[in-house]
Amino acid sequence: MFDPYSALGVNKTASLDEIKKAYRKLAKKYHPDLNPGNKEAEKKFKDVSHAFDLIGDEDSKKKFDRGETEEQQRHQYEEYMKRGAQQGNPFYYETQGPGTRYSSNFEEGIDAEDLFSQLFGERGRGGGGRAGRASGMQFPGEDQLFKMDVEFKEAALGGEKVITLPNGKSLQVKIPAGIEEGKKLRFKGFGGEGYGGGPRGDALVEIHIKPHPDFTRHGMDIHSELPISLFEAVNGAEVPVATIDGSVMMKIPSMVSSGAKLRIKNKGIGTEGHRGNQIVTLKIVLPKEMPDDFKKSINDLASKYTYDSRGTT
Amino acid sequence: MMKKLHEVCIECGYEPNMVLHYIREEWVIPVNRDQQLLDDEDVARIRLIHDLIEEMGVNEESVPIILHLVDQINVLQTHIKSH
Repeated sequence: MFDPYSALGVNKTASLDEIKKAYRKLAKKYHPDLNPGNKEAEKKFKDVSHAFDLIGDEDSKKKFDRGETEEQQRHQYEEYMKRGAQQGNPFYYETQGPGTRYSSNFEEGIDAEDLFSQLFGERGRGGGGRAGRASGMQFPGEDQLFKMDVEFKEAALGGEKVITLPNGKSLQVKIPAGIEEGKKLRFKGFGGEGYGGGPRGDALVEIHIKPHPDFTRHGMDIHSELPISLFEAVNGAEVPVATIDGSVMMKIPSMVSSGAKLRIKNKGIGTEGHRGNQIVTLKIVLPKEMPDDFKKSINDLASKYTYDSRGTT
Repeated sequence: MMKKLHEVCIECGYEPNMVLHYIREEWVIPVNRDQQLLDDEDVARIRLIHDLIEEMGVNEESVPIILHLVDQINVLQTHIKSH
């Protein structure tokens, strides 16, 4: 059942004065002619008007508080909802459109640029008259934000890519070497259309770098991990190591432990001649399978050569 | 559809003097001044003026200002829709 008190936002103990004030405040806010085309506002206005009708004057309020029958209320509600174009009883905004009489004051020489110069033309002149083509008040189009995925290597070393924006435009994107995650690249004029001859907005392309399974970025350096065997760790070795642009041979010194870091120069982030380094962290791995005789040899060595790797002695 | 002033007054439940006041102030300009014929636009406009003054407590000085702005908004909307 419709509750006029809550529609107006007042307590059941509200005075007529408070009710009237509440009604006026809401009517000003939601009147359909002050919110043309806004159907929500119109519905709210009708609710508020109906509510005021029910409790806005002393007699009606008394009647309502006593409790009218539901049927009467429903009928009144329907009566109230009837205002609007469909019921032949239009709000002012519903009568307005191209070529209507009152709006023709503002429509001479229809074209967007003229319209805006009329409305927002040089300050200091009276409103309503043609102010002539003003230099101010053209509306630039809006900036539009797009997201773009970029490969780790592309982001590291730079590249070029042609992408198609959802608004249909093709964009040649130059990816600067070393670009950071989340950085936005601005492309002037690829955004929304301007109004009144105003310039187009820009396209903002937000870079998202796809994570790489083997490489991570640390500033200008690239970090990676290299598994090595027990024997390589003991004796040293020269092994191939993957970098973002190809494989290189790297010397592993003898007697290294896991966690040792080796540097490959100029295999990091940046452009030719200005690159950071790749930092390779060694990781000793045991063989996947260890035959029994291997294990036995190890255990013999262990009993003879056990050592403290944790430095507790 | 054209209606005569007194018809409109009866339909809306408005005092003829009130509506005449609106016309004298030139807030509403009847489509045919001599015969005082009002069209749908005029009737809806009269209702709006009535709402502004009687329902919303707007003072008379503000009425033409508000109407002026409302007319511009309606024109803008029509334009934006057609673009």
